[in-house]
Amino acid sequence: MQTNGNNSDLQRAAIRPTSAPPVDVYENDDEILVVADMPGARSDSVTVKLEKDELYISSVRDGDTDGQLLAGGRRDCEYRRTFLIPRGVDPNGISAEMSQGVLKVHLPKTADVKPRVIQVKTVN
Amino acid sequence: MFGYLSDLERTFAAMDELRRRVERTVAGNSSSRADAFATDTAWPRTSVFENESGLTLVADVPGLRESDLELTLDQNVLTLGGERKLAVPEGHTVHRQERRGTRFQRQFTLPYKVNADAMSAELKDGVLTVKLPKAPEAQPRKIAVKVG
Repeated sequence: MQTNGNNSDLQRAAIRPTSAPPVDVYENDDEILVVADMPGARSDSVTVKLEKDELYISSVRDGDTDGQLLAGGRRDCEYRRTFLIPRGVDPNGISAEMSQGVLKVHLPKTADVKPRVIQVKTVN
Repeated sequence: MFGYLSDLERTFAAMDELRRRVERTVAGNSSSRADAFATDTAWPRTSVFENESGLTLVADVPGLRESDLELTLDQNVLTLGGERKLAVPEGHTVHRQERRGTRFQRQFTLPYKVNADAMSAELKDGVLTVKLPKAPEAQPRKIAVKVG
């Protein structure tokens, strides 16, 4: 179910606490790569959204209670994090994959910020 | 490219500061549910549940495969060990690394004997679930009262 507006966001937050997942950020010539640990989140609960220059990632973990809790600090939560994306990312080329509770978001660079090799011509 | 990199760094500094402020505000409220995330810092984060049939251990092990994990049961002590190797993707530079590679071992003393033969472990979505059924001798027993 898609939520929109502050009201439903607040309702959702009231149900589950929010957790900021640990994130790695890598870069190469072609892309920025964001990697986030979201254990227990099903891939169908993942939202990756780019709004203007903000990248928003979120997912939900729920339903892993099995009886009475004896010990431990894990609990249902909503993973959520927002990044400001620098200029030079192609918004149409963004892709994301989820595997073993790890989310990877690929942010390809636009051609104008990629490093370019300039051919040196020999002039006689 | 120089300006591009520092943009990214500034972005994170600003977002981190914002997040710290929110967390401080939330942590000030002692009844907050966010506290639960702050207290248990050992990796992997685990929980133990109990129902009529036995115990369930749940551990957050994102990115790990079966071969990275080792589970052993010795009497009533369950040991979860393993290694999380994290490598920088080929040809990439690192801007930020909050995820950690680690070698870990955690031990859990179980409150009663479990049936080792019926133990099962499953890895799904980066979560390890270990089912530890109660041993028959640990099941509650009804004693009939005889009239003498």
